[in-house]
Amino acid sequence: MTTTTTPSAPPSTPPAERATGKARGPGKREARWGMILAAPAFLHSLIWIGIPVIVALGLSFTSYDMVTSPVFVGFDNYANIFSDALFWRAMRNNLVLAVVGIPVSMLIALVLAVLLNRGVRGQSLFRTLIFLPHVTATVAVALIWLWIFAATDNGLANVALSFFGIDAQPWLNDPDTALPAVLVVTIWQGIGLKMLIYLASLQGLSPELYEAADIDGAGPVRKFVSITVPMLRPATFFVLVTSIVANFQTFDLIYVLTLGGPANSTTVITYQIYQTAFQQLRMGLATAQSVILLLILVALTILSRKVVGGTRGD
Amino acid sequence: MATETPTLPAGAEPISARGRKDELGSSSARGRRRRTNVLIWGVLAVVSLVMAAPFIWMFLTSFRTQEELGMADMPLLPSSWRWDNYLEALDAAPFATYARNSLLLAMGQATTAVVIGSMCGYALAKLRWKASGPIFGWFLLSLMVPFYATVIPAFFIVRYMPLFGGNNILGQGGTGWIDTWWALIVPAAISPFLVFLFRQFYVGTPTELIEAARIDGVGEFGIFARIITPLIKPGLLTVALLAFEAGWNNFLWPLLVTSSQDLRVIQVGISVFRQESATQFHLLMAGTTMAAVPMIVLFVVFQRYFVNGFVSSGIK
Repeated sequence: MTTTTTPSAPPSTPPAERATGKARGPGKREARWGMILAAPAFLHSLIWIGIPVIVALGLSFTSYDMVTSPVFVGFDNYANIFSDALFWRAMRNNLVLAVVGIPVSMLIALVLAVLLNRGVRGQSLFRTLIFLPHVTATVAVALIWLWIFAATDNGLANVALSFFGIDAQPWLNDPDTALPAVLVVTIWQGIGLKMLIYLASLQGLSPELYEAADIDGAGPVRKFVSITVPMLRPATFFVLVTSIVANFQTFDLIYVLTLGGPANSTTVITYQIYQTAFQQLRMGLATAQSVILLLILVALTILSRKVVGGTRGD
Repeated sequence: MATETPTLPAGAEPISARGRKDELGSSSARGRRRRTNVLIWGVLAVVSLVMAAPFIWMFLTSFRTQEELGMADMPLLPSSWRWDNYLEALDAAPFATYARNSLLLAMGQATTAVVIGSMCGYALAKLRWKASGPIFGWFLLSLMVPFYATVIPAFFIVRYMPLFGGNNILGQGGTGWIDTWWALIVPAAISPFLVFLFRQFYVGTPTELIEAARIDGVGEFGIFARIITPLIKPGLLTVALLAFEAGWNNFLWPLLVTSSQDLRVIQVGISVFRQESATQFHLLMAGTTMAAVPMIVLFVVFQRYFVNGFVSSGIK
């Protein structure tokens, strides 16, 4: 094919080729270079995304332990998953983290964005500090929180509680407090990016709306509720969907903080996939779990594209 | 429709102040405004402090003595700043090697992403060829695929890579790419999102310039490399930084495909160190500081370019 013959084509075109027909020559050359330039990235995504998805689909109907060859088992893996209490536990934990954590961090992010948009002194420093948790590696972040949630009296979380006269908590050592502790970390880490997206959208709002509201004598709360919030609806929807997608891919945090425990109280779907595949070597079952995760996230993304496509037609 | 999925309408201009609308307001209104600004400043300062508190706590802990960590009434600031914690941590685990590996990995990924991604982004945005539409559609599709849906088969591809690591032509008999730089760099060389980002950057460049260059007899590759790509230098930096960040912070993939200490990256390194040094939080926090600070510094220096990329991504 062309790929093999042209990578070292001379940068200048022979004049003869330029002379013959404007429509065909350059157009053909353009098309050829389009293919050549796109080929590496395209082939890469084919090998590392396309083929793996197909292989995962195929393996999800087999039993495979990496020692003996895969054995076709039909829908057994999927049937197993639906009756697997642990998988549902993981799903439930993901949902708890999403349903409780995302609205809280979105609300905090929105308020912070509005405040930062006022242009008070030092706002760029504030913005940096609020965003830091997002750029820092989740493993590092998780280790810090591991120490903050130390069950001893001098873990920072317990120091803070004692300040309010509340007894020290076991945090990550207790099934009742472990998930709330994880939730706190996800909220803390999730605020920065949401704030940034809100801030970018706020800057796109026209000042005239606010000026008109000023003339009408609307107070700051009124302006926030009647102008800012409705105008930010597309951004809110975008933040919501990307947050849910990111939430379903929480892994590093759980791996470092809790290993899904205690008593599976903090396990999530990605952690179950990891456990099933790389600890138990039940590759067929694990790929079936990953296919379910894929279906959930693809459905969410398609839904969001439909809805956003509908609301953004201005 | 689909073309504008992950981007936001407002782009990502450096964030500026709106403010000062009512300059003509009465002095009492100005006074009120000043008071609310002080209030807002106070709220932001408190929130920022809370957001930064874990990092400050990490930093302070990394200088404490072990005895101090055991005290019931631990002082807020370390009673003496013990720099030796860092030396001890470096002694307990080869953090310098881990950091070097992470740096190589991150720089490798930044390079491949910029080279491969810019080529593809340009071809999709600026060149007319038959498959361009379907291939762009393919990238949008693969954008939706989570890493966790491909990680198991990708692991098999690495493990059964033919003719590597003692494998025969069918990929049997050896360990393939396991425990090699190939496994660390190649699968993460480029992501659909970065291709998408590049395409968006190139869409904004002037097509007339390409046509003029063609008339002047500049070759297609020359137009791409020497005329159009220099126009999106900030975009190149954004992609390089995002790829670097992904490489430096990556955890699960290096954990799966490497086992030897020589190839261990820093995030895996501190996680393993934690299992080995269970309660020595002062050393653990020294190691964590070493793993976190390079990214923090890079972010603070290149903040604007990061923000540019993050706002268009929405996902880490």
